[in-house]
Amino acid sequence: MTDNTMHLTTDEIELWAQGLLPAARAIHLADCSLCRVEAERERKVILELVQLPKFAPNAGFADRVMAQVKVHAPSGDWTA
Amino acid sequence: MFSLLYRMVRDRALAEDLAQETFVKVLNGIKSYRPEFKFSSWIFKIANNAAIDHLRRKSIDTLSLDGSPSAETPEQMRATSLQLGDRAESPLAEVENRELGTAIERAIARLRPEYRSCILLRHVEGYSYEEIAETLDLPLGTVKTYIHRARNELRVYLEDRRD
Repeated sequence: MTDNTMHLTTDEIELWAQGLLPAARAIHLADCSLCRVEAERERKVILELVQLPKFAPNAGFADRVMAQVKVHAPSGDWTA
Repeated sequence: MFSLLYRMVRDRALAEDLAQETFVKVLNGIKSYRPEFKFSSWIFKIANNAAIDHLRRKSIDTLSLDGSPSAETPEQMRATSLQLGDRAESPLAEVENRELGTAIERAIARLRPEYRSCILLRHVEGYSYEEIAETLDLPLGTVKTYIHRARNELRVYLEDRRD
């Protein structure tokens, strides 16, 4: 059983930022201004990270890759 | 996977070369794939190794400014830190500046490569700590430490900029 007077660990703060913090520990967070400030700072960074865009390679990338892949010919020969 | 490589090396053309190298290795070495290993983790592992190998070989401006992760004293950090190189402005560099020019992207670029891989896999790719440990061949405790330190460094950098 967790002592509810203990401050949140970094793992618990991450769980809170994801909305996964167990209710028992959320009670501590509600009562502890120190943890709330820390958790809020952490959440801002996590939010910025999860909102980062995904990038894609330029057109023709797949063709360039496949041109270099060895294709197993029915004869058993490997051709580039 | 391309996003990870791009953020690791911060050079579109180079990231494409590394992505191509990764896929060619994956497709040519498909027989060595072990099904007990998550397929996407295997791809990320090869991609990350390619990026880290590249960063180790080349003293480019994306490598940590703070020196080796094993450096413990200011002297060791100075001795292992890298200097920013001059980059000529080209159309491609302009695209890169636009894509990777936000405060959070610049903060990520300042992280040590090991921290960068972990934080990107965790929060951009959505991997669990266990999956990251498996993908990067790192102990679980090390992954947690890297991610916590990385978030802390990002936070400090971003808050300093806002002040």
